[in-house]
Amino acid sequence: MMRGMKMTTENQTFAEKFDLLGCIQCGRCTGGCPVTVRTNLNVRRFVYDAYDEGLLEELARVTDIWDCTACHTCAVRCPKGLKPLEVLIGLRSLVVESGKTQPTVRDALESTFMEGNPWDKPRATRNDWMEGLDVRIAEPDQKVENLFFVCCTIAYDPRVQVTARNMIRLLKKAGVDYAFLGTDETCCGSEVFTLGEDGLFEMLIEDNTELLNEYRADRIVALSPHCFTTFNTHYPDLNKPVIHYTQLLAELLEQGKLVFEKGLHKKIVYHDPCYLGKQSGVFEEPRRVLQAIEGVELVEFNRNRERSLCCEGGGGKMWVESESKIERLAETRIKDAHALGADIVAAACPFCVLTLDDALKAEGFEEEMQVAEIMEILGELEEMQDNSSSAQEVED
Amino acid sequence: MGNVLVLAEHRQGELRDISIEMLALAPSVAEALGGEVMVLLLGSEVGPMAEKIAGHGVKVLVVDDPLFADYNSDKYQKVLSALIDDYKPKLVMMGQTAQGVDLAPALAVEKGLPFVPDIIGLEVEEGVIKATRQLYSGKVNAQVALKETDTGLVTVREAAFEAPDPSTTGAVEKIDSPLKEDLDYRKFVEYIEAEIGDVDITQSEILVGIGRGLKEDKNLPVAEALAEVIKADLCGSRAACDAGWLPDDRQVGTSGKTVQPKLYICMGISGAFQHVAGIKGAKTIVAINKDPNAPIFAEADYAIIDDLHKVVPQLTEKLKELKG
Amino acid sequence: MKIFTCIKYVPDTSEAEVKLDSEGTGVDSSRFSFDINDADNYAVEESVLIKEKHDGDVTVVSIGPKSSDVMIRMAMAKGCDRAIRIEDERIATHDPLMVAKVLAGAIKDQEFDLVFTGCMAEDYGQAATGVALAELLGVSHAAYVKKVEIEDGKVKVHRELEGGLREVVEISLPAVLTIQTGINEPRYAPIRGIRQAQKKELKVMNLDDLGIPEGEVNAEASRIVLEKLYIPVVESKAEIIEGEPEEKAEKLASILVKGGLV
Repeated sequence: MMRGMKMTTENQTFAEKFDLLGCIQCGRCTGGCPVTVRTNLNVRRFVYDAYDEGLLEELARVTDIWDCTACHTCAVRCPKGLKPLEVLIGLRSLVVESGKTQPTVRDALESTFMEGNPWDKPRATRNDWMEGLDVRIAEPDQKVENLFFVCCTIAYDPRVQVTARNMIRLLKKAGVDYAFLGTDETCCGSEVFTLGEDGLFEMLIEDNTELLNEYRADRIVALSPHCFTTFNTHYPDLNKPVIHYTQLLAELLEQGKLVFEKGLHKKIVYHDPCYLGKQSGVFEEPRRVLQAIEGVELVEFNRNRERSLCCEGGGGKMWVESESKIERLAETRIKDAHALGADIVAAACPFCVLTLDDALKAEGFEEEMQVAEIMEILGELEEMQDNSSSAQEVED
Repeated sequence: MGNVLVLAEHRQGELRDISIEMLALAPSVAEALGGEVMVLLLGSEVGPMAEKIAGHGVKVLVVDDPLFADYNSDKYQKVLSALIDDYKPKLVMMGQTAQGVDLAPALAVEKGLPFVPDIIGLEVEEGVIKATRQLYSGKVNAQVALKETDTGLVTVREAAFEAPDPSTTGAVEKIDSPLKEDLDYRKFVEYIEAEIGDVDITQSEILVGIGRGLKEDKNLPVAEALAEVIKADLCGSRAACDAGWLPDDRQVGTSGKTVQPKLYICMGISGAFQHVAGIKGAKTIVAINKDPNAPIFAEADYAIIDDLHKVVPQLTEKLKELKG
Repeated sequence: MKIFTCIKYVPDTSEAEVKLDSEGTGVDSSRFSFDINDADNYAVEESVLIKEKHDGDVTVVSIGPKSSDVMIRMAMAKGCDRAIRIEDERIATHDPLMVAKVLAGAIKDQEFDLVFTGCMAEDYGQAATGVALAELLGVSHAAYVKKVEIEDGKVKVHRELEGGLREVVEISLPAVLTIQTGINEPRYAPIRGIRQAQKKELKVMNLDDLGIPEGEVNAEASRIVLEKLYIPVVESKAEIIEGEPEEKAEKLASILVKGGLV
């Protein structure tokens, strides 16, 4: 889909583009960076070194720059309002522009360009997750209150397709005015941006803005925090607001349109996704939804809300492995959940679910604990059991 | 005359299986065409090989000349071109192999032959030679007819036909090489053996994949034993590599390698989408996992729903027995 | 070093369910994603590497529809200098010898040292076009090439044989080489680069422009007839092997050995 490729001019130096001189080298960024426990990444150092344009090529070759998960903790903590992680992304851009990027990154970017998703799947099968469900597809000339944006990972990955499938059932039960995009839905570019392909990201922003603005919807509801935050942060010309689905659910609860018929007697710990929590300030709505379920005992991680421990799913890490042999952050998180005696680790992000699930297996806790997307948990309550093999059974 | 001329293939002194596999097909075709099978063996000091082929009841034409000490597709082309003129076979058959692909299309162009490569079936229907081949990763079959001609050419897929057992003794006839001089525009230099210890799993033909279900690295020998018997390379899901059971360059998946083996046997792998994406090029997938709902089964051609620790050691034993 | 690299736009059918079209002589490609043939992608990279090392020039040639322009632009973004896209529905594209004739028509009157093609296409899997092209151009060839070393007036190539064995041959230039996957690591073409590649020449030609008489490359000229396509009868995707563990092991072992898989 190449409707037009307006590029911004790149006449700025690195220092200008990232306001490197604004940095006072206080070290709050590195001090809060979650991956420093397992890698050598020192983002403060990169901000300092990147001032020397002559060093940039060499810096771009340092593999540490690929350890960043784009959690944005550094940006949240910076007293000068800078975004240190963007220096790392800028260095990644140099690698991408040279063409000599890792094959896995190359494939994800090419796939996004050619088929609108980074998973090497045909665009034509993007809505296959809808099979068996009667889903209203949006038409540009038809007014709708809530236009849903699914997310490439939720659309194609069987482990998290349940998020979308259960959403359909819930929307119908709650009588919500909704519509989903057809196969025109294209990657929001969250990972394209963090992988450093800014040319492609600009193209996605332009094409998606044009597409989404065509629809007469009151607002866009994103199922994934990545799409939600990327639209709100990087898409200046969208003509309607974008919310995350947990915000819609909290709204429905308040309006009495969402009632949970069954209870669930489980200890649940909610993991704040970086792209929902610390980057966009949505902390309470997911908790309200979980607490509305009768019998649920909601417990908290020590590192919760703004201090949530990144699961290492973002920042392009789905396609780039770290060299570190030290325990993954997701594994630490799972151990913490286990120590809390939690039955379920709940998350509201497909990347968190995937990485935490992997960690659960690595730690060997599959018999005692579960990782579940909030929509998976709700699916059980509403007796909306998905009979496909991808659904996880929440045992009572 | 409806003769079928089969080009035998050999390498480093050994006859390759495809040479005999083609004899499962050639005789019935020759009979339908009203002729007989002739096998062409080109090489230097190939007497024993000729006898072996003749043991399948066919006539073997042997061109035994130092000029053919090493394979050279241009030299082979010259010989075949001359023999097609002399013997006018109705059909020429060779393997769709590294040798065959380097030779057949050029021969077809030179002699203007109807040509169908990589066939998995062949029939003669009212005098018309019809071949079956596959398209789209083996998902579609095509029936292709060769138009009327003096000589047609097909290449046969390896292991598509079962090599027949030796039967009667045919005849071996030595003929002079139609090629008298060496060629200067193509020279064989040497063979280089595959490097050992330097495994690039993206090029592996057979892979054994391990996953979380192996439980701990002291169980690695279970997979290693299987891999050794079938000459497979080991690879793993992210969980296995994370756990340190395999080095990172053996990881298969979206953040690892994409592999395309002809056979992939995986055990204790659930089949998470990111791993499955890395094996989509595998031709045949065998999955062993005790979880009946494991997504890997949606990708597998053969499924064993059982504890790998109960099945795999037995599998290794049985394979050892069968392979002799 | 003047190089011509031939590429093909093919569907990715590795995961997809393939259905025949209404006529039964083609497939329904509406749910496929199309991209450059895998081996051709390696050929593009190899030609650009040689161009960079030996001060060369690369022309891309492809037979395909307008929708394949994106593939051609990506190849040019990687470093190819210009492209010729041939579009003509009279060409009997199912016959590799006819395809080779068309490619030969585009290349034969040009000066060239090397012609690269991928060793095999993912859709038809015939592994024939490149070698047929060599014969038509009257030049040397080598198929399944895993390494290319340019020497004076010659090229030394490693051919990949079964079992990982390599055959090293020396052939004279000009030559056609059919490139095997894994010979290199194809680079990424960033979008900015693709945009810049819009400035490079992409000439669209048909048989008349090439001066090739239709009667040399159409269905009548082809010596083969594609009579019909059919979906082979396949057992349901996973054949579940039953029995006690030992029985299952035995059955599987038998399947693998008899099927020539091990």
